[in-house]
Amino acid sequence: MKRFNIAIIGLGGQGIITMGTVLKNAALNSDSQEVSGSERRGGAQREGYVETFVKYIFYENESEPNDSRRNMHSPMIEAGGANVLISLEPIETLRGARYLNENSIVIFNERPYIPISVRMGQASYPDISFIVSELRKITKNIFFYDLDKISTDNFNSLTQRNIIALGILFAKTSIPISPKTIENILLEGKSAEAFNLGLNF
Amino acid sequence: MNKSNLFIDGTAGDKGIMLGNEAIARGALEAGVGYASMYPGTPASEIIAALDKNKGNIKDLYTEFSLNEHVSLHGAVGASWSGVRALCAMKNVGLNVASEPAQFLSYTGVKAGLVIAVGSDPGATSSSNEQDDRWYSMHTYMPIIEPSNIQEAKDYTRDAFDISEEFSFGIVLIASSRLCHNAGVLYFGDLRDRNINGDFKKDPENYLNLFNMAVKNHAKYLKQNELLKNYLAESRFNKIINENSSKVGFISSGVIYAHLMEAMDVLNIYDHRILKLGFTFPISNELLNKFFDGLDEVVIVEEAEGFLEFQIKKIAYELGFRGVIHGKDIFKQTGELTLDDVISGVGKFLEKPLPVFFDFAVKRDKELQGILPSRSGTFCIGCSHRATFYSILKAVGFSNTEAKERDVVIAGDIGCYTLGLLPPYNAMDFLTCMNAGLGIGQAISIFDKKKKVIALVGDSTFYHSGIPVLLNAVQNGANVLYIILDNSWTAMTGHQKTPSTQRDVDGTPYSNPLNLKELIKSLGVTYIKSLDPNSVKRFALHVKSALKEQGVKVLIAKRECILQEIRRNKLLKKKDAAAMKTTSSFYEIQKLRCVKCNECFVELACPAIILKKDENEDMEYYYIDPVSCVKCGVCYEVCPNSAIRKVEFGSKLNLSKKISNKEVNGLSGINV
Repeated sequence: MKRFNIAIIGLGGQGIITMGTVLKNAALNSDSQEVSGSERRGGAQREGYVETFVKYIFYENESEPNDSRRNMHSPMIEAGGANVLISLEPIETLRGARYLNENSIVIFNERPYIPISVRMGQASYPDISFIVSELRKITKNIFFYDLDKISTDNFNSLTQRNIIALGILFAKTSIPISPKTIENILLEGKSAEAFNLGLNF
Repeated sequence: MNKSNLFIDGTAGDKGIMLGNEAIARGALEAGVGYASMYPGTPASEIIAALDKNKGNIKDLYTEFSLNEHVSLHGAVGASWSGVRALCAMKNVGLNVASEPAQFLSYTGVKAGLVIAVGSDPGATSSSNEQDDRWYSMHTYMPIIEPSNIQEAKDYTRDAFDISEEFSFGIVLIASSRLCHNAGVLYFGDLRDRNINGDFKKDPENYLNLFNMAVKNHAKYLKQNELLKNYLAESRFNKIINENSSKVGFISSGVIYAHLMEAMDVLNIYDHRILKLGFTFPISNELLNKFFDGLDEVVIVEEAEGFLEFQIKKIAYELGFRGVIHGKDIFKQTGELTLDDVISGVGKFLEKPLPVFFDFAVKRDKELQGILPSRSGTFCIGCSHRATFYSILKAVGFSNTEAKERDVVIAGDIGCYTLGLLPPYNAMDFLTCMNAGLGIGQAISIFDKKKKVIALVGDSTFYHSGIPVLLNAVQNGANVLYIILDNSWTAMTGHQKTPSTQRDVDGTPYSNPLNLKELIKSLGVTYIKSLDPNSVKRFALHVKSALKEQGVKVLIAKRECILQEIRRNKLLKKKDAAAMKTTSSFYEIQKLRCVKCNECFVELACPAIILKKDENEDMEYYYIDPVSCVKCGVCYEVCPNSAIRKVEFGSKLNLSKKISNKEVNGLSGINV
């Protein structure tokens, strides 16, 4: 059995849950036999921390799917267990660093969303360089972009930011499913364009 | 057949991606459910929402978003007694409200199958407590079934209806938020026919419970419980893995069992005996006897205080098992038990070294958490609750930035507005359960004459169980300002309608919206005003004057949830192309007039107002992000220096252009 684990984190309202849903639906048209992964969404927590997990599971022989020791999968990712971490907010990337190991790939949005604690002057917001150097202590595979700007420049709105990130996921990682499976779900329109934009990064 | 919506069209052989909650709903459909109800509550809301939004395409299905869990469960009982299979869903604390019907369910029994699906919330990510509802069954005797993954969520729900009928119990299906909100592959089964031609048959032996009739039925269900235990000794819901090996055995259930199996894999441990409990109440002595055979130690892996451990230790005593039973000496009692907790706990207990990558990640995480600024959720941009809290705090002379004792007690309650207790507002002095605010506030107003009391409540919470609380306050001479934050929806759980809802999101008017003001008048309240909370100055003045009056005063902060308003406007604009071209506007902070007094940035704290750096980087200024601003205009009203202005222009402007301040200022034809 092989697993490919993706942790997606960000803030309420950024479309984090949608990213997970698209990636999970893509599994239906791929060789992945099983997909699991839970969300943390909490009430109406706008601007609060949100995470979703996508775990693709590939069985390697016929017996594994019927083996009680192999066919049950936790909806969570263990510490250090993510192949990829995608984050739509800089400091939240560090909150999600728990899931990283030395081979993990990190893709994050460099546009900060200032938390209330910083707004009230009780804490300060670290520089991007600090975030990158902290991540480098774990993995060297780090990609970051101003996804807010890319989304508004290209689509005149923030709503495609998450889909662009999905495209980048396929461009920068060895995700074991085909980008075609995503295109089949997004079909056409702005979302398909946004995905292709990310794919060409 | 074109299966565009597998949730309703799927048959055996189909697979699709479903949420745990949808899988529960689908399981009920496959069992031929005819009645489905709930009072919405995270994490369980999608169970009934999935059925409700599809009911137009499902033959013979009655759905109801009930006003509270008590009536919701009684509705399910009535359906069952009429011969219609019934599903009643609720969140963890919902069972407190439904506990009275739940207590009687075993006395009366059921006719058609009845399943109560409870979404539990360990870690309390969307609740005000993390109670483990399984303990209720110690006295209600409702059997508990616990699915471990999405497939079991569907299959167990379907099968629970059969078991409910066979043993005449309402079955409690427990799904933790990790399962409710897990999305993954679901293999569908075939749908059973639905019977909703009810036929209530009198059954005085079971349905009448008074004096000795109740005593007789008490004995009846204890006997039924023993029969169910016998059935569970061999059932397919409980299974023993690796029957013949090992001296150490593990017992688990629900999502924690999934954590356990993956933890074993991460730790490379494959040879211990494991008991998976599908039914966690009752537990069969015979089953445990078989499991215990040859074991020296047993480890129970579960969340919260140890419901399984409590039962299993009792049974072990009865069986004379001499091994050691571990549970809460290894695993924590509070907060969510995560995959990491199970890996660490099992690894340490078996003295297996933790994988290097795991150990490193946990340590790194500890270092990082200490240095990151904390982040908490807040109101949506444009939410009228933000304006309401701002007004209340201003009216009682309180600022976010100065720490001083308020001489006003603000009673909190459950809903979106609960977020007002978080920084920067810190605007609640207590928060417990639904409608606790006014009830507790009433007594404070009687016993502490030095302080004024303000009690807050949302429309959905008020209708849930607030009417008797308000009537009680009026009848007993409370001195409270009661503010009803009426946004017309049960917004936090995904916008289910309330009696206040006037129009659906597509604009269709509802036939019988309640007149809240009239209702409150009829309860004997004479001081009552309905106001738009976005007019913050006016609202604050009314709070001030109301606080000077004696008795129960009611202010209704009436404004529809901004999210629903935006959705409706979008839908209507799609229909009407001309509307797209009408006048547009935005708000901006004029750099030169802004003195950074923080009234908008910290006191109101709208997330659309952000801190920006000037191009030459030597100056920071406040800026309204036009991409996220929804133009509620509240900041415009709170600014004491008239630094915020409203800009209107003729045609729709390109957003990316709006972002650049320069171009915006350079526009011709601006009306300020």
